[in-house]
Amino acid sequence: MTVQAPQVWQRLSPRMLLVHPVHEILRQIPLLIGSVVVGSATGNPMWTLVGLALVVGYGFARWFTTTYRIDVQEVQLRTGVLQRKVISVPRNRIRSVSTDARLLHRLLGLTVLRVSTGQEARGDAAFTLDAVQASQVPGIRAILLADSLAPAEEEMVSEPGRELARWQPSWLRYSPLSFTGLAMILAAVGVVYQTGAGVALENSRLARSGLDAAERFGAVASVAVAAFVVVAASVVLSVLRSLVTYGNLVLFRDRDVLHLEHGLLRVRQHTFDMRRLRGGTLREPLLVRLFGGARLDAVMTGVDGAGEASLLLPPCPRVTAEWVLSGLIARPDVVSGALRGHGAVATRRRWTRALTLPAVLLIAMVALYWWTPVWLWPAWAVLTVCCALLAFDRSRALGHRVDSEWLVARAGSLDRRRDCIAAAGIIGWTVRQTFPQRRAGVATLIAATAAGVKSYRVIDVPAEWAWSIAASTSPWVADNAWVRTV
Amino acid sequence: MNLVDPATPPSRKAPLVWAIGAAIPWLVLALGQVVWFALDRRLLWVHALAGAVTVLGIVVFVFVVPLWRYRVHRWDIDAKAVYTRTGWLVQERRIAPISRVQTVDTERGPLDQLFGLANVTVTTASSAGAVRIVALDSDVADRVVAQLTDIAAIGAEDAT
Repeated sequence: MTVQAPQVWQRLSPRMLLVHPVHEILRQIPLLIGSVVVGSATGNPMWTLVGLALVVGYGFARWFTTTYRIDVQEVQLRTGVLQRKVISVPRNRIRSVSTDARLLHRLLGLTVLRVSTGQEARGDAAFTLDAVQASQVPGIRAILLADSLAPAEEEMVSEPGRELARWQPSWLRYSPLSFTGLAMILAAVGVVYQTGAGVALENSRLARSGLDAAERFGAVASVAVAAFVVVAASVVLSVLRSLVTYGNLVLFRDRDVLHLEHGLLRVRQHTFDMRRLRGGTLREPLLVRLFGGARLDAVMTGVDGAGEASLLLPPCPRVTAEWVLSGLIARPDVVSGALRGHGAVATRRRWTRALTLPAVLLIAMVALYWWTPVWLWPAWAVLTVCCALLAFDRSRALGHRVDSEWLVARAGSLDRRRDCIAAAGIIGWTVRQTFPQRRAGVATLIAATAAGVKSYRVIDVPAEWAWSIAASTSPWVADNAWVRTV
Repeated sequence: MNLVDPATPPSRKAPLVWAIGAAIPWLVLALGQVVWFALDRRLLWVHALAGAVTVLGIVVFVFVVPLWRYRVHRWDIDAKAVYTRTGWLVQERRIAPISRVQTVDTERGPLDQLFGLANVTVTTASSAGAVRIVALDSDVADRVVAQLTDIAAIGAEDAT
């Protein structure tokens, strides 16, 4: 066997000489402020310049000290100015390649390229090329994924990539109801107060005239106005964020590779190896479900199951999400077929759980009858109705569907999810019973897989069904010394 | 269709080891309370309450729980699968096919070494699918590891 000459060490794009110093300056703002303070205190501006030069020099040094190499066996990345570090990833372990371009990178035609393996690499251990020129990306990606996609390359029929989904402006109607806008407002308020600007604001003329106006309007009206403003701002922010993050999203399939590209300002691309796909999760948060929407997550080995890494479709019409997933796993009945419910006991347990809080509150309120303010009673009634609706919705959601190839489990109300897991990906089963579950004769069945969030639950199935469900999905469960046919 | 529970119990010394393991932190707590009582005798009812909680904790975690766990914990291995039952309040039965086993680890804590016990962890590609057989006699653990690595070596498919 001839050993190929080792590939030369390559540097990142020279344009990073512009980006690194800027990033370093942003990152070292405290240090710079310190050097400015020292400079003005000593009356010697040299200190400021020295601080700036050090930071900028460090930024330059990062480019000179970062090199990568794509070898026959593995890819390697050497980084670190003071503390050297080498990250090696065997090429046959590469599961997906994603790219990400923030605004500054895009202006310079650069792209961050991230290689992910089956292992969960966090923070420093992640293999990230920050950044290479955008024009090099297709080439590098093809080289990196060549190993895992080799068989597909051979049977290359000239089948062009097929588009599965494209972002529609109408998808924005699912975003106003998310909490992202509210979270952004709270974060902004937090920052304002942390920097001490809040105190200054409180004493400003603006705030005083606002308070005067509030006094003229009356308390109720001003609270209503404030609430309206916050809600309106949160809706606008949510819609904007959704537009900026997911605008021009395109999901297309090119033989065994799934490409996802989205983002207006910061463009992100994910490439998924279809042969690592072990199913999908349709998620229908309550507020999205009310408008007939759903979102789709991939269940894939080597891809983190929660969060953005596994996202295939943001909130979109449920029909679209179901159609895409059906196309990917070629089993429409798995995606949208009817489920088998879990029976009366499971329903009763949903109701018991949801109504425990109102019951406890009621007892407390009756016990302290003379101290209970009158307005608490209607509030209690509203809470009870909400809990009852929740229990109803949760018990209606519970269900599963099994055959020899797929396990489907659905549960939840506020965050309803329908997990569709390929039987081939399931590598272990757990039947878990808490004390109340043993008394009620139900069990939670947990399928372990190497993909997605690693464990998928079928909640509160009658205990005598549990192993049959496992066995109808994984034949090996029914093929051992412990099986008894009842 | 149903699975009968696995049959092999852990080592007979297991409840003793679990009890000692649980007793150590509780005794430290009790000692702390005695010192506190010696230094400060005001608020007798607080001392009484704390003492009652400690006594209850010791009874439950040092006497009840180890015996309860010993009654629940069972394990078995056949040619194709590892099967365990664990827990006390929350009980779990877990089965994993040996063809998907990735590593077999043995682990001995200080107390385990003192009493000649070992814990065997059988990991698969899923972090949710690891099977732990705890508190085995050392010779049994060695036999289990040998048996598992033997069978696991035969199946050479990609374990994901």
